[in-house]
Amino acid sequence: MEAVIRIRRFNPEKDKKPYWATYTLKDCEPTDRVLDLLHRIKWEIDGTLALRRSCAQGICGSDAMRINGRNRLACKVLLKEFGEKPKIQVEPILGLPVIKDLVVDMEPFFAHYRAVKPYLVNETPPPVGPDGRPRERLQSVEARERFDDTTKCILCAACTTSCPSFWANGAYVGPAAIVQAHRFIFDDRDQLLKERLDLLADPDGVWRCRTVYNCTPACPRGIEVTRAISEVKKAIQTGKRDF
Amino acid sequence: MTSLVLTITETLRYRGEIGKWAWVLHRVSGSGTFVFLIMHVIDTSWATFYPELYAKAIDAYKTPLFTAGEFVLVACVIYHALNGLRITLLDYRPQWWRRQADTAKLVLLGTLVLLVPVFLVMAGHVVNYYNERAGAFDLGLDKMVEATAPFAIGTVIVLGLGLVVSAGASLIPSLNAPRKRLKGSKMETFLWSFMRISGVLIIPLVFGHLAMMHLIQGVFDLSRVGHVPVFTNLGPNMDDTLTAVNFVRLRWDTMLAGVYIWRVYDILLLFLVVLHGFNGVRYIINDYIHNRVVNRALHLALFGTMIGVLLVGALAILQSVPATTAEMLSQTSRTIGVDVNPFVR
Repeated sequence: MEAVIRIRRFNPEKDKKPYWATYTLKDCEPTDRVLDLLHRIKWEIDGTLALRRSCAQGICGSDAMRINGRNRLACKVLLKEFGEKPKIQVEPILGLPVIKDLVVDMEPFFAHYRAVKPYLVNETPPPVGPDGRPRERLQSVEARERFDDTTKCILCAACTTSCPSFWANGAYVGPAAIVQAHRFIFDDRDQLLKERLDLLADPDGVWRCRTVYNCTPACPRGIEVTRAISEVKKAIQTGKRDF
Repeated sequence: MTSLVLTITETLRYRGEIGKWAWVLHRVSGSGTFVFLIMHVIDTSWATFYPELYAKAIDAYKTPLFTAGEFVLVACVIYHALNGLRITLLDYRPQWWRRQADTAKLVLLGTLVLLVPVFLVMAGHVVNYYNERAGAFDLGLDKMVEATAPFAIGTVIVLGLGLVVSAGASLIPSLNAPRKRLKGSKMETFLWSFMRISGVLIIPLVFGHLAMMHLIQGVFDLSRVGHVPVFTNLGPNMDDTLTAVNFVRLRWDTMLAGVYIWRVYDILLLFLVVLHGFNGVRYIINDYIHNRVVNRALHLALFGTMIGVLLVGALAILQSVPATTAEMLSQTSRTIGVDVNPFVR
């Protein structure tokens, strides 16, 4: 089948403004992914098309883009979703500076990620195993389950760049950073609870969330993003991880 | 301002789910109510401070454009209240997020269902008014301009002052230091809870207020000679000059169990609604206005206006309508043999 694909393109060396370019591809299969179409355009039609991707299997989180109006991973969207005569519109995720075509500068996003200290902090020495050497800190199944959902994040930025609060105000840490914070706030091995809650009780922390719910359906990993944010809000108010 | 324009266009373009529209409507209905709130507090205070102006303001409220505005206002208040309840519920029960789309639809449906009888009753007041004054339909643009001009001028002055002070403040180096990233704010945390708690408390107060002032009796009744204000015990409004002023007086001087109940009610409503509304607008400013000088100017203007509105509103309620007007009222009441409130000055 034939697919028509519109791409929001921008070359900072040539173009004053982004523009829409339309490509028609023959011999497409319903099981082709949007990423396959982008590959064919880049390899067969116009080698100047810029996009990010690495694993192409929904794990690395490189190819988040706005596909037909919603943030998705290009490697996880099949053509058959768009019917017999697919018409697809692809544009870069919004809220981060566009470098070229579909490639955005992810640095502001990662700066927010780093700001929430996305690593386990535990100052007590690790337990000692039967062999006399340090071993892992054990955790009950229930305690691990508490933050299981937020361990699934692949930092693709689909949630953060679907958020109107983030579009309006880049200082907002955004859903992805809060999801990462949630993963450690609700980990009972972590000892930085108070500081984490204090970090996020910032006007640009969780309080910039207006519960628009764009982020939750945008997550390619199915993380309950808005729920995680609301749980962090509750933890801030109670000062506890088990409210 | 680009971020505001960008957010509006991209909010329309992005294919979010209904939660997005609930958020848009919440902001729009809140902002609409806010504009009316400021006008309403200030012009009601005129009943105490400038009775003639108050009578004029009520006349302006009877013009068709304000009547249309009243319908929009009531729709805004009802939607904002119901959606506010939805937000509060989902905020305190994060595990219910799956219900966000259903509840958003329910809020829309609930608003429509409530609006049908409410609009019918309100339309009844309008129809009655025009039936009594056949052929008196007058768009009243001049009245509208006259009534809103002070607010437009006031807004420009307040914003101008805010800009001047803000520009002056930017000369102080310490005020221009970049904000430390993510340090937490107890105030912001408190205000988040305050918005939800005050919102829930406001709902019965505002719905009661809407019922008393827009349904059981409308703006057209306030200035009607012989009208008995609902839930008052001071008798009918018999003064044919400044009748709207006396309506306010009859309400505020009504006592129940030794308490000026409507003054207590109005003071509570005033403080909760004003604090809630101004903080809501502060959220909007901080979301969209990032230029430091302009942002600070808007904050100053907003804070100054809030203090002004609270002061003017509270003083008007506590002081009630001036003695001369009250004297007139008590005389007319006496001549028709109605019990006069012993606390009338």
